[in-house]
Amino acid sequence: MLMAEKSVATGADPLRLDAILGLLSEPSMADYIHDIGQHGVIEYIDLGGDDIRRHRLRVTTDRGTDCAISLPRSQHLQNGAVLLAEKDRAIIVRMLAREWLRLAPRDAAAALELGYFAGNMHWPVRFDSELLLIELQGPRQRYLDRLDFMVAAGQIRIVEEAA
Amino acid sequence: MIQDSVLVKPKAMSAGAARVGIGGPVGSGKTALLEQMIPRLIARGRNIAVVTNDLVTKEDAERVRRSGLIAPERVLAVETGACPHTAIREDPTLNIQAADDLEARFANLELVLIESGGDNLASTFSLDLVDFWMFVIDVAGGDDIPRKRGLGILQSDLLIINKTDLAPHVRVDLPRMVAEANEVRRGKPVMLTNCATGAGVDEVIDHLSSTVLFDR
Repeated sequence: MLMAEKSVATGADPLRLDAILGLLSEPSMADYIHDIGQHGVIEYIDLGGDDIRRHRLRVTTDRGTDCAISLPRSQHLQNGAVLLAEKDRAIIVRMLAREWLRLAPRDAAAALELGYFAGNMHWPVRFDSELLLIELQGPRQRYLDRLDFMVAAGQIRIVEEAA
Repeated sequence: MIQDSVLVKPKAMSAGAARVGIGGPVGSGKTALLEQMIPRLIARGRNIAVVTNDLVTKEDAERVRRSGLIAPERVLAVETGACPHTAIREDPTLNIQAADDLEARFANLELVLIESGGDNLASTFSLDLVDFWMFVIDVAGGDDIPRKRGLGILQSDLLIINKTDLAPHVRVDLPRMVAEANEVRRGKPVMLTNCATGAGVDEVIDHLSSTVLFDR
């Protein structure tokens, strides 16, 4: 999974970003950023599901700027959050798409056991009709290894997403 | 013409102190790590406070308060009452309140260290509570601990292998333990400490300074 690279000490002060100035989904902000993009540089910070929940982290933008984000506890990072908007430069957060493992239980008994197991593993899940979706917060194989006993017994089936 | 008024920066709000969790199994050395970190952080001029979690006592908080390392009023205790991981993951309200309380009491606080109650390898911290969390294991727990892939081992921002001096006495192959920890963590950092002497603790603080306190 692509992810904003965590920065390490570089010997120079990181760029401090200490508030969300607005969201790209707001028309006035979208216009403002568009204007900057006409003559300046837009940099992006790509964050995965875990990092976007943090209030304080050090990351590198897609153009290599070392950033130190520290937000008030009442603010929360999200897709399209604008963290910097200067005359010729803006920095915007992009949330990477979450990946899900889609599982179809064979019957009600298998569904109960799968639900219990996913809960016991503290995996975030979603329900989609008769499917259970598990959010992948690590390598897909790690989840498949844990579920192998149910797959091997025919209790659950991995459902690939339609192309 | 786009107006600068779209940029209304919430100047009245401050990010407050960084919050760092310290988790790990019972007896792995979480409190000992805390006791080694506190004087080093103070020596570096950091304004810090501590929250400890215990099951049904305030033992760890009392130990840190009595240590003389930090003003006792800067140490708060949370009694979890039941499963220790609940108070740092499922419902971290008590710990959030404790950290908020410390920030309200001490101006310009820079760092709140939150030590969990001793738990198992599956314990993790909620990112609603902390900005960064460490997981402490020790060589005496066995060199197979990393390859058991507990959630704490896999997901923590920093894995610390403590009591490295004991490795030859408990027949632990430390280089193999470190190699397996690095393998399962896929690039996330692993550090070694001996909290009986303080060996390795400066490196832990350097890492925190860079990642959450934003030193150069």
